[in-house]
Amino acid sequence: MTDALMRRLRPSQVRELITLMIIIGLVIFFATQIDNYLSGRTFNRITTDFPIIAVVAVGQLLVVLTRNLDLSVGSQVALVAWSSGWIATEAPGLHPLLLVAVAMGMGMIMGGINGFIVAYGRVPAIITTLATLAIYRSFLITIAEAQTITTRGLPEWMVNFPGTTLVSVEGFDLRLIFLVTLLVVAVVQLLITYLPYGRRLFAIGSNPDAARMAGLPIQRDVLLAYLGCGALAGLGGLMQMAKFGTITVDSARGLELAVIAAVVVGGANIFGGSGSAIGVLLGAVLISILDQSLNRWIGISDFQRDFMLGLLILLAVASDVFVSGRLQKQWLRARRREEARAAPPGAQAGVSDG
Amino acid sequence: MEMRAISKRFGEIQALDDVSLDLLPGEIHALLGENGAGKSTLIKVMTGVVQPDIGDILIDGQPVHIGSAFDAQTYAVAAIYQEPMVFPDLTVAENIFIGHRDRGRVVNRRAMRKEAEEVLGRLGVRLDVQAPASALTLAEQQTVEIAKALSLNVRVLIMDEPTASLSAHEVAQLFGIIRLLRSEGVAILFISHRLEEVFAQADRITIMRDGAWVSSSPRAELSIEEAIRRMVGREVVEFYKRVESMPGEVILQVEDLGVEGAFEGVSFELRRGEVLGFAGLVGARRTDVGLALFGIHPADTGRIILDGHEVRIKNSHDALALGIAYATEDRRGLGLIFNQSISANITLPSLDRYLDRFGLIRRAMERATAMDYRERLSIRAPSVETPASSLSGGNQQKVVLSKWLDTKPRILVLDEPTRGIDVGAKVEVHHLIDELVKQGIAIILISSDLPELLPMSDRILIMREGRQMDIVDARATTQEAILAQAMGQAETLSRVSGTAR
Repeated sequence: MTDALMRRLRPSQVRELITLMIIIGLVIFFATQIDNYLSGRTFNRITTDFPIIAVVAVGQLLVVLTRNLDLSVGSQVALVAWSSGWIATEAPGLHPLLLVAVAMGMGMIMGGINGFIVAYGRVPAIITTLATLAIYRSFLITIAEAQTITTRGLPEWMVNFPGTTLVSVEGFDLRLIFLVTLLVVAVVQLLITYLPYGRRLFAIGSNPDAARMAGLPIQRDVLLAYLGCGALAGLGGLMQMAKFGTITVDSARGLELAVIAAVVVGGANIFGGSGSAIGVLLGAVLISILDQSLNRWIGISDFQRDFMLGLLILLAVASDVFVSGRLQKQWLRARRREEARAAPPGAQAGVSDG
Repeated sequence: MEMRAISKRFGEIQALDDVSLDLLPGEIHALLGENGAGKSTLIKVMTGVVQPDIGDILIDGQPVHIGSAFDAQTYAVAAIYQEPMVFPDLTVAENIFIGHRDRGRVVNRRAMRKEAEEVLGRLGVRLDVQAPASALTLAEQQTVEIAKALSLNVRVLIMDEPTASLSAHEVAQLFGIIRLLRSEGVAILFISHRLEEVFAQADRITIMRDGAWVSSSPRAELSIEEAIRRMVGREVVEFYKRVESMPGEVILQVEDLGVEGAFEGVSFELRRGEVLGFAGLVGARRTDVGLALFGIHPADTGRIILDGHEVRIKNSHDALALGIAYATEDRRGLGLIFNQSISANITLPSLDRYLDRFGLIRRAMERATAMDYRERLSIRAPSVETPASSLSGGNQQKVVLSKWLDTKPRILVLDEPTRGIDVGAKVEVHHLIDELVKQGIAIILISSDLPELLPMSDRILIMREGRQMDIVDARATTQEAILAQAMGQAETLSRVSGTAR
């Protein structure tokens, strides 16, 4: 890592850059292995595949930042997917935006329940959400009465949503679902960077005791993180509905694995206090590329896919422990050298002299 | 056991400087010193928790290396602390035999229970050996620890303030046990801040000050007055002298404040532009008073009156809204968000002032504030974007102070603001206190460093074991007089001759 680069990038940005380079490396590798890999078809597949993981994972990030976890997102997605499909079938005339609001609202109720129990009931997040993972799923099974939602009853716009393309250049489609995802990521990234609430999330996650000493409303903020997570799980549920068209009570089972993988591969610290929405987006893209490409390359099964996700989580968290520490040290060293060069104190680092 | 010329440095602090100490079989040896005199570090060296930089440890005249707690056990050295380190979920018997490594692979529960009863019987104590340790009182837990040590045939038993949380009756029992051990030839080293205890029980008394050995003498050759003088014995001259200030009107009145299980009956007034010092030793519960005022552990009893109106402070948010800030002693655990930048740390409690009309953080303004504090408090860091974790202790402390100053407090509680920071940074903190007082901020200064507390304070409130002993004029008192009160020796006050100021 060169000095000039180190100086300008914060350690977290370097971490994101590494993820990006791994993605590029993977694409190059698969391009040599799979015929006709660098095509519009691959691009379109991946850009329709990763959005669900990315949207739900960005919500999960809010919770992870506070040193908590929401394992029930898969069940939330399924419940919202099924219910919104049912609503769309029953009331085909419903305005799409209203349906979005209903879906996110349902997610917020479920997230709110989790958040309330964790923040105010002081039940550990892993236990609370493991319980609600089962409870939300059973609730779905009860209300669904083994009915499956199918494309037949759905309104046109919904069936067409995953394929809705804004611009298409030589087979590379810019799809609406991709755009919505980018928008969600951008909004969350801006919110956690520029809202005091975002700042508080980082503070709570990295040192809850100090956050309390600083008079921060920790319980309320944790509840809000779960609400946000639920809202995005709701949006993810609607996307799931639109993408698959057919929703059984088994839909999105095990999604939490991919979601948490995206969060940690994207560089968020599972112990809270650091992470970014952009990183999570890259994490989701990486997982999606691996998933899709391995399938085309050697044809992997669902079990092998879970093996891959499990391995990714382990690698990401294990490498984080040491990569982050090392990056931080290098960055500081670079800053110090900078300081030494720019003699007058108060001069800001980042002004390069070559 | 003999310690020869032990020295240990932690970063900028010389914790132990050429300390020698010998323990004889069958003696009760007391170790005296103010907070930070190096007593705890010495114990850690003896029990293998800390390795000395220089110096030798001898047992029976043979040099030994104690590199771990296991080594200490091999040499039959055991330590017991103020807070017993028992495993709450294990039974008494299991706790007693947890450290044994010579018992084979399978636990013989019946034999263990029987032996546990025997060991406790030797101490003249009856305890249900099958009860979980969490069901015992602190004193009983300590007894279990002593029994554990005894079952390991301990020859050197070190006790760090074993009596601090015990009742008078329990203390008497404990000393009964200690005398029993002495008669069996065990060497006992004990630390206590209760001078009457030390002078009633110890055969020999060693005094330490600022990490150095001062004296070791038989009890008969030492008076309480002389002991206090030797513990203090420091001159104040090189420290910062405050500029004379005239405290203004009373802004805070505290009446009979108390927190269950921590402290009670604390009453004082605080004026604008005044520094009220809090003196006391470990366990005096000064920090708890600060935490109560700041709403972290709200008071159960008593009244807090601000500007003539009674207020309730239920959490730190309330306190900040009333203009009360508290800079913690524990910078690492409670003061800083380590992986965040200096500027994010400074603005954390006052972030609401840095928003634009859309409710977004104004980063430029935040940076400007941080740079302002960096200048004012001379925080040495490459930039205000540097993470707090990479700063030295003194600079971290300045960031913590900046953070609380930025809440624009009217009352600032400073808990050990200069502990563990170098002399240069210390002087800067003192200078800052002076400046704040001139601006009319009222300061409560909790400090264990008497040569700092005396010149910095207008008045000094002395606490001892959760009780307020006295409030004295800082200009009309001496270190000896304060220490005598903090150790519960008020009656010797009049007899203490000579002043250190």
